[in-house]
Amino acid sequence: MLKMQNISKVYQTDSVQTHALRDFSLEVNEGEFIAVTGPSGSGKTTFLNMAGLLEPFTSGQYTLDGIDVGGLSDNQRADLRNQKIGFIFQGFNLIPDLNIFENVEVPLRYRGVSAKERKRRIDECLEQVGLASRAKHLPQQLSGGQQQRVAIARALAGNPRFLLADEPTGNLDTLMARQVMELLEEINRNGATIVMVTHDPELARRAPRNIQVVDGQLADFTLYQGKPDADIERANAPLKTAEV
Amino acid sequence: MLLHYIDLSWRSVKSTPVISSLMVFAIAIGIGITMTSLSVYHMMSMDPIPHKSSNIHYPQLQVMDDGHEWHSKDNLPNQLSYQDSVNLYNADIDVLSSPSFRTGFSVHLNTPDVKPRMEPARLVNTEFFQIFERPFIYGEAWSRNDQDNKPYVAVITKEINDRFFNGENSVGKEIYLDNKSYRIVGVTEYWEHHVKYYDVNNGAFNSAESIYIPFSIAPLEEVGTWGNMNGWKHQALRGYQDLLTSEQLWTQFWVLLENEAQKEAYGNFLMAYMEDQNARGRFQRETFEYGLRNVNEWMEYNEVVSEDNRILVALSFMFLMVCVANILGLLLAKFLKRAPEVGVRRALGASKRQIFLQHIVEVSVIGLAGGLLGIVVAQLGLWGVRTTNSYYNALATMDWSMLLAAPAISLIASFIAGLYPAWLVCKTQPAIYLKSQ
Repeated sequence: MLKMQNISKVYQTDSVQTHALRDFSLEVNEGEFIAVTGPSGSGKTTFLNMAGLLEPFTSGQYTLDGIDVGGLSDNQRADLRNQKIGFIFQGFNLIPDLNIFENVEVPLRYRGVSAKERKRRIDECLEQVGLASRAKHLPQQLSGGQQQRVAIARALAGNPRFLLADEPTGNLDTLMARQVMELLEEINRNGATIVMVTHDPELARRAPRNIQVVDGQLADFTLYQGKPDADIERANAPLKTAEV
Repeated sequence: MLLHYIDLSWRSVKSTPVISSLMVFAIAIGIGITMTSLSVYHMMSMDPIPHKSSNIHYPQLQVMDDGHEWHSKDNLPNQLSYQDSVNLYNADIDVLSSPSFRTGFSVHLNTPDVKPRMEPARLVNTEFFQIFERPFIYGEAWSRNDQDNKPYVAVITKEINDRFFNGENSVGKEIYLDNKSYRIVGVTEYWEHHVKYYDVNNGAFNSAESIYIPFSIAPLEEVGTWGNMNGWKHQALRGYQDLLTSEQLWTQFWVLLENEAQKEAYGNFLMAYMEDQNARGRFQRETFEYGLRNVNEWMEYNEVVSEDNRILVALSFMFLMVCVANILGLLLAKFLKRAPEVGVRRALGASKRQIFLQHIVEVSVIGLAGGLLGIVVAQLGLWGVRTTNSYYNALATMDWSMLLAAPAISLIASFIAGLYPAWLVCKTQPAIYLKSQ
C-alpha cells in the first residue's frame, strides 16, 4: 500500500538546514493499522505530511498504491489525495461556515461526484459515525468528540483506501477518545489501511503494529500488542531535538 | 461547481459583512465616478446617426484672399456665406443638399388666448428633412414649389403642436412667427439628440429647434441669425441685403453623398466653384482647398469632445484604480485570514485551480454588487451634472450600453484586484495550517 525508501526532508531557512526526516524507510501493507509514536519534534508529523502527499520530500522514493508519487505535480498530488487518502486531524479542521453535511461533502465535490451519489455517501458516513441527525448543525454546535466523528465521516466519504490520523484523540477526553478509537478499528476491519500518529499509550497499544520515529528516523519497529504501557511511555519520552 | 462557488462566496460575504461592505462601497464609488464621466463622454462622442453618418457631408470652402488665415487647424472656415450656401444649393448637380441657420421668433396664434413665446427656429430647405430623416407625425415637408413660390410654410415639432394646438393635427393651420403668418405643412417628432451635430458651430449640445421654415424666407423677412457670424474681410454692411452678398460666414450646409464616386465628383465641383468665384473677382487666390467631412469627421474636426473630457475620463479611471488598490489590500487581508480553511480544502483534494476559481468567483460577486451599486452612484452623479445646467440634460444620462458597461467594468476591476490575492491563497501549502488550526 505504502512504500517509503530513504525518504529525506530538509527544511531550508536563510542559513540553517533542518533535517526533519532522514533516510526514512517504511512499508505498510494493505489493511494494516499502524500507530506512530515518538517524542515531540522527532518527525512524526513530517512523516505524516509526506505520507499524505501534503508536502514534497527532498529525496528518496515513495510509492503509494503502486504509484510513484515523486514526480507528480501539485495538482496530481491533490487528485491522488482526493482519490486515495482520508485525513483525520487533532484539531478536527472542519470548515466553520459549512454545516456537518456540507463539511462531509467537501472531498466529494472536488472529486466531481453527482449530487445524488454525494447525498447517499454522506448519509451513509454520518450514519456510520452516529451523527445522521446532526447533518444540518454547524461544527461549533457539536462537542469535540462529535466534531472528530464528523471529521472521520469526511475522511470516509470518498471511500479512501488509506487513512491518516494525526493525534485523532488529542483534543478529546478519555471516553470520547475511546469511542473514536473504536470507530477507527471498525473502519480498519472494513478494509481501510490506517496510519495513526499518537502520544496516547492506550491507543498505541490497541494498534496491531507500532513504529517509533526518533530524530527523523525509524528508530524501532515493534509489535506492542500486549506490552505494558510503560514500554510505550518510554518510547514517547522526550529525546534530544532533531539535529540542526 | 460554479453555483457552489457562488454559494460559498455569498456565505463568505455574510460571514465578513464589514470588510465585504467596505469592498462593495469602494468599488461602487469608483464605478460611480467612472461611469459618470464615461457616460457623458459616451453621449458626446457617440455616432448620432450611425446608419447614415458616413454619407452626410459638410463642405468647407477656402474663399478668401491669399494671405488671410482662418483660425482652424487646416485654414478652412467652418461656416459658409449666405451667397455660397445659395449657390451650392442651386448648382446643377444631382445631390440632396440643404443650407441652414439658426434663428428665433416670437411664436403665437394671433389670438389673446395663447401667450406668445420666443422659440428657436431653423431655416432650412426641404431636403433637410430627408437628409436627416425627420419622422413626421402629421403632414410632410414643404414642396420645392412652396419653397420657391409660396415660402410662408412651416414644419413644427410635436412640442409646439402640443402647446399651441393641443396635440391635434395642425396641418393647414396658421402659426405666427413674429408678425407673419405661416401655414403649417407638417408636424415632426421632437428631435432628441445628444449632440447637435448638424450645427456644432453654435453650441454642440444645444437642444433642437422646434420650428423649421424655408431658407428662402431669409431675404424676404430679413431673418437674423442666432448663431455665430465671422468674416475674413472688413466690409461696411448697410442693411440686410448687404449681409446677404457679403463675405460674412454664418450659414451651415449639408449634402448627402452616397458613395466615394459622388464624393469625388462633389469635391471637383467645389474646386470648380471656388475657381469660378475667384474669376468673378470675389477674392484673389492662387490655390484652393476644400473640406468635405462626414458627420463623425465633422464632430471630431470641431472637437465636440474636447481634450478636457478625455482627461476627465482618464482621471476617473485612475480614481477607479485607487479603489482597486484599496480592494486589493482588503482582499489580501480577507483571503489570507482564510488560509487555514484553504489548507483543509487543499488537503481534501482541491487543486490550486479550484481554489483560485473559488476566490475569483467571490471577487466577482463583490465586483458585481459594487457595479450595481455603482450604477446608483453614477445616476446620482449624472443627476448632479444635470442640475448644474439644463445644457447637460441630454448628455448626462446613461444609455443601455453604459448600464451594461458598468457591471462589466466593475467585474474587470474587481478581477484585477482579486488576481493577486486569489493567486497567493491558492498557493497555500496545506501542511502549514493543518496542525495549527
